[in-house]
Amino acid sequence: MAYKIIAGFLVLLVALAFHLHMDMIVLLNLSFIKFAMNGLLVLSLIPMLNAGMGMNFGLPVGITAGLIGMCIAVNFKLTGLVGLLISALLGGFIALAFSEVYGRILIAVKGREEIASTFIGFSFIPLMNFFWSLVPFSNRQMLYPIGGSGLRPRIGLNPYFTSTLDQLWSIKVGNFVLPFGLLLVYGIIAGLIHYFFKTTSGKSICAVGENDAFAKASGLNVKKIKLLSVRISLVIAAVGIVVYAQSFGFLELYDAPLMMAFPAVSALLIGGASAKKGTIIHAIIGTYLFQSIYLLSVPIANELLLPEISEIVRNIITNGIILYALLISEKGGRYA
Amino acid sequence: MKKVLSMLLVFALAFSIVGCGAKAEESSEGSGATEPVVTETQETATSYKIGIVTPTLSTSEDEYRAAENMVAKYPDIVKHITLPENFSTEIETGLSQITSLADDPEMKAVIVVSGQAGLLPALQKIEEKRPDIITMTAPIWDDPELMSKYIDVCIDTDWVRRGETIARKAHDMGAKTIIHYSFPTHMAKEVIVARRDQMKATAEELGMTFVEVTTPDPQTGNGPAAMQQFLREDIPRQIEKYGVDTNIFGTNCPMYDVIIDEALKLKFIVAEQCCPTPTQAYPTVMNLELSEEDAGNFDKINQMISEKAAEADMTGRLSGWPVPVTVYVPEYAVELAKKMIEDESFDYKNLDNLKAFSEETFGVSAEFNTLKPELDNYFVLIMESIFY
Repeated sequence: MAYKIIAGFLVLLVALAFHLHMDMIVLLNLSFIKFAMNGLLVLSLIPMLNAGMGMNFGLPVGITAGLIGMCIAVNFKLTGLVGLLISALLGGFIALAFSEVYGRILIAVKGREEIASTFIGFSFIPLMNFFWSLVPFSNRQMLYPIGGSGLRPRIGLNPYFTSTLDQLWSIKVGNFVLPFGLLLVYGIIAGLIHYFFKTTSGKSICAVGENDAFAKASGLNVKKIKLLSVRISLVIAAVGIVVYAQSFGFLELYDAPLMMAFPAVSALLIGGASAKKGTIIHAIIGTYLFQSIYLLSVPIANELLLPEISEIVRNIITNGIILYALLISEKGGRYA
Repeated sequence: MKKVLSMLLVFALAFSIVGCGAKAEESSEGSGATEPVVTETQETATSYKIGIVTPTLSTSEDEYRAAENMVAKYPDIVKHITLPENFSTEIETGLSQITSLADDPEMKAVIVVSGQAGLLPALQKIEEKRPDIITMTAPIWDDPELMSKYIDVCIDTDWVRRGETIARKAHDMGAKTIIHYSFPTHMAKEVIVARRDQMKATAEELGMTFVEVTTPDPQTGNGPAAMQQFLREDIPRQIEKYGVDTNIFGTNCPMYDVIIDEALKLKFIVAEQCCPTPTQAYPTVMNLELSEEDAGNFDKINQMISEKAAEADMTGRLSGWPVPVTVYVPEYAVELAKKMIEDESFDYKNLDNLKAFSEETFGVSAEFNTLKPELDNYFVLIMESIFY
């Protein structure tokens, strides 16, 4: 339901953009890149959501794993697709290691996973800040220019793998550019998740999410299944930040991942996911709508000379919709 | 149960009375004992401390390293602490950290460096608690009138006049348009708005177009990511509209990674960063490889930036200040505090004295002014430019 209101708002924005003679083709190109760039982070929420562990506000944990993977790849000056692949692989393995601890904590605080994951995410960032400023990497392009040690808060990826995926197999029709490689990667991962939930393991995750007492009575190992969902979530988040960074062009360390969980959760809720269940379709619709509104609202407000208002209106609408989505879906979940 | 509770209350009462009494006794006894300590400190005279508060390393390297340099130079005098990483949401922690410096009886000066608003109450508290402590800001951005009233020495870059100097410099570099990126939280600050107004007035006087663009606000909600992504999308649009002879200015430091990266691709002009320094954005965007011995060597960093700018065919289209003002001002503040403590006759309110002090201590020339004629302890400075 919620996505219909957001979609209505988006249509209004598109109409305004058209009316203001903004370059619609460029905006369309950007909307695809923005969608895939942020999309994997949204997808990563789904396995844990379906396992009944709520929204993964501890997304920074998975993101950090991906960042370490990328730092290692950049340290050895790996470029292009090789660099990306190695980053994603290393990030994935580190995410697996993190998920062993992270998952066990979340299982221990059963019923309060969302608030626990929020605080784990918040406390993990300062811990990693120590790591970033002390880790002995040797590529001097990554190190602070005055002190000469410690990683810079932002590391430029231009010589390594900026836009590698964005430009991979991109299809050009006139001014319109379809980032086929980027969307393909997104599609493959989304497809894998979709397929995974059709398998026995995937179905047992959903069973645990719906009623873990019942699942336990049916002979499922609830802890193991929850841990599996955490592993999958964190690995996708790690790959997700690699895709994000190659689009953005900078590797952002320190406090950058702190708030990244919130837009991702907003997008999934706008797409129609409830606080208990989310599907690939919810993630796709939600990400596209949420990111496109970001893309359109600010330039339109600047054109209309209402710049101060735009931020307020955008915040009211997106946050209001999320509240609405939570209210409606809670009702639907309980009384449907 | 009730008995236990009432017993506990009685104990609590008794403890508080006895506790207070004991303390009073101790202090009355101690008053005799403190006298020799006082004479001892008078004898040594040099044992004092200067506290400096900066953002963390990841928030801004410059101020942090400046304080570190000073600690290395005067290890017995300078005490360095950092503000909370997440400044905007944990301002209370920052305030209590600053006031805690005044608990040290040897503390003679407290310098706060943050480039944010909201820390004035801490300095006000120190002024009330320990009027003998010299409070100094290098800089913080609260209301200037109040700062001048409650703080002994305020040092800052001449942000407002930079509105004029940047517009003139951009014009000399060939700009026909100036784009000013900012967002609501910054546009609520007097200094930033005044600089914008001066920049606009000067641009119009020189016949340039002045364009104001609002970005998503990094200090509310989703952090700086949305702002940076917006700049990535918006800069090519603006350059297509106004052409390459456009100077882009943003009011927030994290903007510059994207602005300079886009400048290298699209060839527009960046006359000055919001905090002019060779160490912000340039090393990241240009992937400067500074060897270990060159770390902190600004001549070398500037030379490398010039080389990379030439490679990108951008010679003469990027400019800034040769030494980061964000390193210079905190170091200057520490040296000035030291001078004021050691040489009480030093007249810090004389602008020529300040200029001469900069030249003799740092070998760098900087022009000092007061922010407003009536604020005689609020000093603002401008350094010379370097063109890459």
